[in-house]
Amino acid sequence: MNSEVRSFLEKHDLLGCVQCGRCTGGCPVTARTDLNVRRVIYESIDEKMLDKMSKLPDIWDCTTCSTCAVRCPKGLKPLEVLIGLREVLVESGMVQSTVRDALESVFQEGNPWKKPRATRLDWAEGLEVKIAEPGEKVENLIFVCCTVAYDPKLQDIARNLVKVLNKAGVDYGLVGDGETCCSSEVYNLGEAGLFEMMVEDNTELLKGFAADRMVTISPHCYSTFKNQYPLLKMEIVHYTHLISELLAEGKLALPKEVSKKVVFHDPCYLGKKNNVFEEPRFILKQVPGVEVLEFERKKERSLCCEGGGGKMWVETESRKERLAETRIKDARALGADVLAVACPFCILTLDDALKAKGFEEEMKVADILEILHEAAG
Amino acid sequence: MKMFVCIKRVPDTSEADVKIDQTGKSVDSSRFSFGINDADNYAVEEAVLIKEARGGEIKFLCIGPKDSDVVIRMSLAKGGESAVRIEDPRINQKDPLQVAKVLAAAIKREQFDLVMTGCMSADDSNMSVGVALAEELGVSHAAMVKSVEILDGKIKVKRELEGGLTEVVEMSLPAVITIQTGINVPRYAPVRGIREAQKKELKVLKLEDLGLAEEEVSEAGSRVELMKLYIPVVASNAEMIQGTPDEKAEIMAVKMVKGGLL
Repeated sequence: MNSEVRSFLEKHDLLGCVQCGRCTGGCPVTARTDLNVRRVIYESIDEKMLDKMSKLPDIWDCTTCSTCAVRCPKGLKPLEVLIGLREVLVESGMVQSTVRDALESVFQEGNPWKKPRATRLDWAEGLEVKIAEPGEKVENLIFVCCTVAYDPKLQDIARNLVKVLNKAGVDYGLVGDGETCCSSEVYNLGEAGLFEMMVEDNTELLKGFAADRMVTISPHCYSTFKNQYPLLKMEIVHYTHLISELLAEGKLALPKEVSKKVVFHDPCYLGKKNNVFEEPRFILKQVPGVEVLEFERKKERSLCCEGGGGKMWVETESRKERLAETRIKDARALGADVLAVACPFCILTLDDALKAKGFEEEMKVADILEILHEAAG
Repeated sequence: MKMFVCIKRVPDTSEADVKIDQTGKSVDSSRFSFGINDADNYAVEEAVLIKEARGGEIKFLCIGPKDSDVVIRMSLAKGGESAVRIEDPRINQKDPLQVAKVLAAAIKREQFDLVMTGCMSADDSNMSVGVALAEELGVSHAAMVKSVEILDGKIKVKRELEGGLTEVVEMSLPAVITIQTGINVPRYAPVRGIREAQKKELKVLKLEDLGLAEEEVSEAGSRVELMKLYIPVVASNAEMIQGTPDEKAEIMAVKMVKGGLL
């Protein structure tokens, strides 16, 4: 047994697994794929299997939603074994072209969407925005996220946040066009070398700002900066924390009524990974006219939308119903007018599912900030 | 098998807002993303596949500024031994014949079996450098290659022709081939590999190092003059034909006859 394999076995504590099956029993994607993380853990113990295991298409079905980790009685993180196997494949270079392109784009342009770095702030054109200056004191440093900054369907999330912050008189500043991918998805795609590099570069960049804390729009950025940047000694919060504070302190007025039935979908990277459940619900309850509904599968049991874990760049071969479509059907059955989310990936998957199901006329998918902006008038 | 692969760093203009700059002869590239020329990336992969199957050595050649080093290092991480970057503002990169002359001067200094280029660059799309390079080197060439088979002292390639035809060509080595996209699946260069590739040789040369005189490769000595660049005017003249399917077909047929299309 060589040292590299020993380290894989030790790193993931594979021998600590008691094969109880709580992971597979809760894994949401087993409803539509053959992924069996219990088998993957068992077979990965054999050093000779690692190469073969890394070539299994199944390892790319994992959305890194963390249900397996939440349910594991031994405190293991089965999803990390799958990411570890992806790492073996990435090191060989033989990943699918969509994954290759996303990773090369992060390496060269600082975002996974093959967009020029120079256009990162285009979403803010015509808006009154404050850009933070390195060394100048700012209370809230805003990290926008690559997907929100570049996807025309999502740019309104950033615009709405800025408008709400301006209205509430919040002291904030954007990281600006130097903002570079947090690399949550780089990690999930198994590019450990690039992830280490980005953590180092981003830590250096962000430490240069004299900020009390950093506010992220995406739960993926939030979770990554909070849990995987050991040298970034800065408080990290999600925007739902900041908005909740503003509402609780009476700094943000919501004069307009939004007469809608709204059900909140817990993003995995906010909920299961970081136990943030109450803030989004608190915000929605403050909006006059909003009736807050709840899914049967909520909070720790929330159904993953399949947007994370690098799934934006890896299509699952299964043609069975997508989990996002299941979620949309559940929201419709509840009679919701709005399926509210607080994550850009969730918006993309759930909005696609809404259209695939043909429910656009009766229901919409919206970020909490859209509802908030409407209520703030 | 000693192989040279010519690569170029180009802007990605597929979704970019392209604007002509003040000179009228170039574009404003300040808002572009850059990367290895797509077809060159396939040439890199093909060379690495040949090396993996039969052994050999790969040297990358690139004309361009220091910014090009990133695509050179990424290529080296995939499997090359060394690279040469030619940086000299006197080189007229708008003339493919002059570009070929510069590349040939770098290759001629060494023994070689096979030279590969992408079939075209994404920025100028001349499709000329590869074939001109073969002329400069005095060797055979095949353009738009979709498959490569190495034989004993020879090479057998399939070329993509117009109309969906494929031509099979056998040539003696040394030779130059220009690689069409889709011939393989270019691999990913992991960052750890790129860091490792920092140790590989990357020489930066100027015209004097290549024994070239300025007039041979500068704009003054070019037989190509770029007059101007302009964005084609977008015009719309579509007519939507109404009626039942039979009526539509009749109206369409009359229009085609009158218009001289039938």
